[in-house]
Amino acid sequence: MMNALFRILIAAALAPFLAMIIVKIKAWFCGRRGPGMLQNYATLWKLLHKTSVYSSSTTFIFRLSPLLGLAGVLIALSLLPLAGRPPLFSFSGDVILLFYLLGLGRFFIISAALDTASPFEGMGAAREALFGTLAEATVFVVLILFERVHGGFSLASYLAVGSGMGIWGNSGAAMVLTAIALFIVLLTENARIPVDDPTTHLELTMIHEVMVLDHSGPDLGLIEMSSWLKLFFFSSFIADLVCPFTGTYLDFIIFGVVVLLLYLLVGIIESITARFRMNLVPKFILTSFALACFALILNLEITLL
Amino acid sequence: MNGYFIALLLVAVAGVMPFLLQRYFALMKVAFILVISAGSLAGLFFAFGVLSGDGAVVSQLVPLGKVFTLSFKVDSLSAFFLVPIFFISPLAALYSYHYLEKPAHAPRVAVNYFFFAVLTWSMALVAGAANIITFVLAWELMSLSSFFLVIYDHEKSSVRKAGYTYFLFAQAGAMAIFAAFALVYHYSGSMAFADFNVVPVSARALIFTLAFLGFGSKAGIIPLHIWLPQAHPAAPSHVSAIMSGVMIKMGIYGIVRIYMLLQPQGLYAAGLVIVVAAITGVMGVVYALGQHDLKRLLAYHSVENIGIILLGIGIGMLGMATGNRTMAVLGFAGGLMHVLNHAIFKSLLFMGAGAVLHRVGTLIVEQMGGLMKRLPVCGATFLIGSLAICGLPPFNGFVSEFVIYKGGFSGCASNEPLFFLVVLAILSLAIIGGLAIGCFTKVIGVVFLGEPRSEKAAEARAAGGAIRASMVVLAFACLAIGLFPQFILPVVGRVAASLASDGGGLVDFQGIADLISLGGLAFVAVAAVLIGIRFLLPKGRSTTVPTWGCGFTQPSARMQYTGSSFAASFVDFYKPFIQVREHFPGIHGMFPAPAHYHSETVDITETGLHRVLVNPLMKFTARLRRLQHGHIQLYIGYIFFALLALLVWLVMAQL
Repeated sequence: MMNALFRILIAAALAPFLAMIIVKIKAWFCGRRGPGMLQNYATLWKLLHKTSVYSSSTTFIFRLSPLLGLAGVLIALSLLPLAGRPPLFSFSGDVILLFYLLGLGRFFIISAALDTASPFEGMGAAREALFGTLAEATVFVVLILFERVHGGFSLASYLAVGSGMGIWGNSGAAMVLTAIALFIVLLTENARIPVDDPTTHLELTMIHEVMVLDHSGPDLGLIEMSSWLKLFFFSSFIADLVCPFTGTYLDFIIFGVVVLLLYLLVGIIESITARFRMNLVPKFILTSFALACFALILNLEITLL
Repeated sequence: MNGYFIALLLVAVAGVMPFLLQRYFALMKVAFILVISAGSLAGLFFAFGVLSGDGAVVSQLVPLGKVFTLSFKVDSLSAFFLVPIFFISPLAALYSYHYLEKPAHAPRVAVNYFFFAVLTWSMALVAGAANIITFVLAWELMSLSSFFLVIYDHEKSSVRKAGYTYFLFAQAGAMAIFAAFALVYHYSGSMAFADFNVVPVSARALIFTLAFLGFGSKAGIIPLHIWLPQAHPAAPSHVSAIMSGVMIKMGIYGIVRIYMLLQPQGLYAAGLVIVVAAITGVMGVVYALGQHDLKRLLAYHSVENIGIILLGIGIGMLGMATGNRTMAVLGFAGGLMHVLNHAIFKSLLFMGAGAVLHRVGTLIVEQMGGLMKRLPVCGATFLIGSLAICGLPPFNGFVSEFVIYKGGFSGCASNEPLFFLVVLAILSLAIIGGLAIGCFTKVIGVVFLGEPRSEKAAEARAAGGAIRASMVVLAFACLAIGLFPQFILPVVGRVAASLASDGGGLVDFQGIADLISLGGLAFVAVAAVLIGIRFLLPKGRSTTVPTWGCGFTQPSARMQYTGSSFAASFVDFYKPFIQVREHFPGIHGMFPAPAHYHSETVDITETGLHRVLVNPLMKFTARLRRLQHGHIQLYIGYIFFALLALLVWLVMAQL
């Protein structure tokens, strides 16, 4: 229990550092050096000390949404086995609680965007509502596959060391497809290129960035923190599938390397691809759904033999 | 059983009383609310007695002359359905105190109250019926009384048309139900429900299908849902609340009861229910996204939630058919729990829509905005209802969806074709949840948040006390059931276990409830800690300014996103199933006249029904109308030829 808490605290502390890797890679591809590796901590510190400016159109929902989003991601982290070790809490059905808490965060951030009476934020909110729902379908197909390969209906039983899941287990082929599908879900849920551009300041091309246009000061700091934690959550999820766990302390090193590689991959994709046109984004997300369904079909074949 | 009849008697008294007190408007309303609350409390007391008494079955026969006997039996399933009936009715009645405010309408209100009482009375009778005659009588009373409730504003032709459509579908559904019962009577020779199981196995599929279509049209499955989006907006809001919250659940009761009595074998029943439920759920919410009218939107959401309930029931049936008792108990429990939860939050949402209509004067979503600041209690409770209907923790919708997911996932290890049904059920539930979030963020965002888009919205003032009180009670129920399901989930679990003929103990509902409660409380605790920390940060340094519109010097409320724009990407994504009709005469010439643009989404089941059934029928009967030409000479000729033909036939018969 204490070990799990310790792991979560380290993860929360490292998340801003890891998110900087993506910025650095994009800078290097452009021939620049980029900001320092600890820039995100400085940004967070600055934001927490700033004045908040609230729009006169907003209500309590606007003030509540960053807090609820962060609370949801924190509970998600406490349910995830990091490096295959038991998480802080786990129970049968915690996957449903997890994804629905992330949905609650999405509900509030969309409502907060509409709260400001700004057409830009309404635009981002409308897009986010559609793309978020498409990713849910993929996630649930993946959960069905996990339940079929290894029961237990809980992340702790699916991703623990020795559960036989992952690309090195018996259903390895299906899991490779699953990992790719989950990577596409990572790009969608965390507003990465090619679904959304986190650095553009043109409201017409943004989804997540434009929804938080009116948040300022500590609220913006909390939103940034929850976005870093969410990226770490999804990366850890995929890393748990990809890592060959041995049950010793070597696992943490392997896990760390794989998470680092995932962040590197995100950074490279952000540097070499442009954001898709808006009407291609649903097709991209549904590709992940198709891959997850293929993984499920592969699994069906195996049980017939 | 006495409690049951006492409750029915009190409700009947409540119905008759308004006629005597018509002259004293406020007194009439208060008296009605008090007596119907008394009756409902008695009914709830009785229902909880049956539910906690280990499913004790209470039975009574009432012979009516020598013609037929009425037979009543309240087992745990019936008692469970009595709970939403007797919980929502008094709250809807309380709501009507500040909703029906014009003393000049006192006679009309008295009639409305009478039929409201008859509706509650007949729904309780449907739940308690134990033979065909009782059931059918109560069912017809339910349909008729709700018809009269719907046409409260009968001066408007749209309301009348909606009422007639509802009546038509109710009678068509009743026809299917009667056909099913007639087939059963043909095989069993008796009216009693207990004799249903002598029906041969080969006939059970047909009877179940007929009953499913009949009860489904009352519940609102696609494609028999067409009356729902017309009747619910036309009815006054307290009637919409009870119709959508409770009456359509009697359709679900019918389906479950027929399934239990008939016990159809094989996968057919489960497959039919799951496929129809998946289509109903997804299409319901997609159509809801495309609506401008707030109550029509909520009516389509009722269709969607009926889909979710039937998904749970279908998973239960699948478990029964394959012998997976865990899946059966979980599926039934999830479906039944969602019946109760939906009754609570859908009534809450309809009451909110009514409050908005009352204060703003219109239901068109595009003319609202900023109502959270003007109707704070209604807005906050409507938000709670929206979160609950999306199935988000820590509210009650999450509890029932969690149990349905558990049921679905416990069937993941099975083989095809069951597995495909299970995957269809789980995926539909996931997609429905996501789309519901999309739709309700649209409703909350466009109606309650932002800036008012019209003067009527800007001038709205807070709703009356009775309206707020009833909504607060329901919102509190949503939160209480979501955070502390330990009080209600084991009860539902026992009902589900009795449906799956399980001795109990197969599924630990107390444990599930404890876990959901813990999860919800953990989230609330973390959120509370964060809110506390946030407020500890120096709050004095925050300022309020108008929204930055990127340098626009004259921002206006019309610049905000409209509901149709928000939903446009969804509607576009589901294009073949939901079509947009636009009316735009265009802008022509150098000095164009004022132009207008109107768009609406079209329900393809309605247009399909028109194209496939109504128009050909009308064309055919139009041809037959040539017989009615008005020439009296030819009419006499018809009589002559008819007599001739009869004469010839009689002579032939003699030979």
